[in-house]
Amino acid sequence: MAQGSRSKWDRASRVYDLATQSDEWRYGPAKRRLFEGMRGRCLMLAAGTGGDFGLFPPGLRITAIDISGRMLGRAAPFARAYAGRLDLAQMDAQALAFADARFDTIVSVCTFCSVPDPVRGLRELHRVLAPSGRLLAFEHVRSHLGPIAVMQDLLTPLMRRVGPDLNRDTLGNMARAGFRVLREHNVYLDVVKAIEAVPG
Amino acid sequence: MKRFLTLAEYGAGALVALATAIPIHALVHPGWDVALAMLVGGVIGMASHALLGSVLGALIGMFQVMVAGSLIGMYGGMFFAMRDAMQAVSWTQTNAVAIVFGVVVVAGVQLYDRALRSRVGG
Repeated sequence: MAQGSRSKWDRASRVYDLATQSDEWRYGPAKRRLFEGMRGRCLMLAAGTGGDFGLFPPGLRITAIDISGRMLGRAAPFARAYAGRLDLAQMDAQALAFADARFDTIVSVCTFCSVPDPVRGLRELHRVLAPSGRLLAFEHVRSHLGPIAVMQDLLTPLMRRVGPDLNRDTLGNMARAGFRVLREHNVYLDVVKAIEAVPG
Repeated sequence: MKRFLTLAEYGAGALVALATAIPIHALVHPGWDVALAMLVGGVIGMASHALLGSVLGALIGMFQVMVAGSLIGMYGGMFFAMRDAMQAVSWTQTNAVAIVFGVVVVAGVQLYDRALRSRVGG
């Protein structure tokens, strides 16, 4: 499963920046506001090509992981340019190689639309997050609006071949993994959300 | 940039609607079974949206194009096919109605987005 996911995102790395450029323009301000809550030892999931590193507050110590080595290769220059310490590591979000309660903040950006077993991944986050820590998640989810949800369901089998699932119940998955949602903002319709959660 | 992207959403909506209405108008004629025509229209609309959306989504915003485009493609495709099965219309009317339909759906989605864009918990 991890190998398939790794290969898919290695392939996607070639066009990732082009395919997500307009989303960066649109969502940059909302992400920046969410990232203002980053404190202490930070973990970023699904670093991608590093496009979000410039939105992080300066001076933090961050470990950013991704399942794709090619994504991380493209992210490396942005990691070096960060005004703080930002280390990169290739890792599967479903099997984190960190000790329990290692991090004070975990940031995820469009991650749990792609992790093959999202509840398993979120349980891993719960494990490595300190009891007083925060999960700051910028995720797209399945809409509660019938016609839009139907479209997301219909398009997901197609999209899954080259990118993320469109119809994940990430808020429900957070609850199933033991998180309690503190705040939730709709960034676009009820599909793109900024979420702040704590270990429940 | 924000204003440009907002305007581009309208352009994308009109394009998806045209790409849906034109093949349907070429294929479906008065006398078709309306239910069958609607089914064909929905499929053509979804295909048009999927093809155009993958390109336009990267340029304008994946979800902005996907949400409005899928509504235009599937439901617009059904409406256009139902009309073409029930009455003879010109190409000019076909294209004009498609553009209006696309723009109205995008406007509706943008209004709904504004209504939903808020803190919903905590």
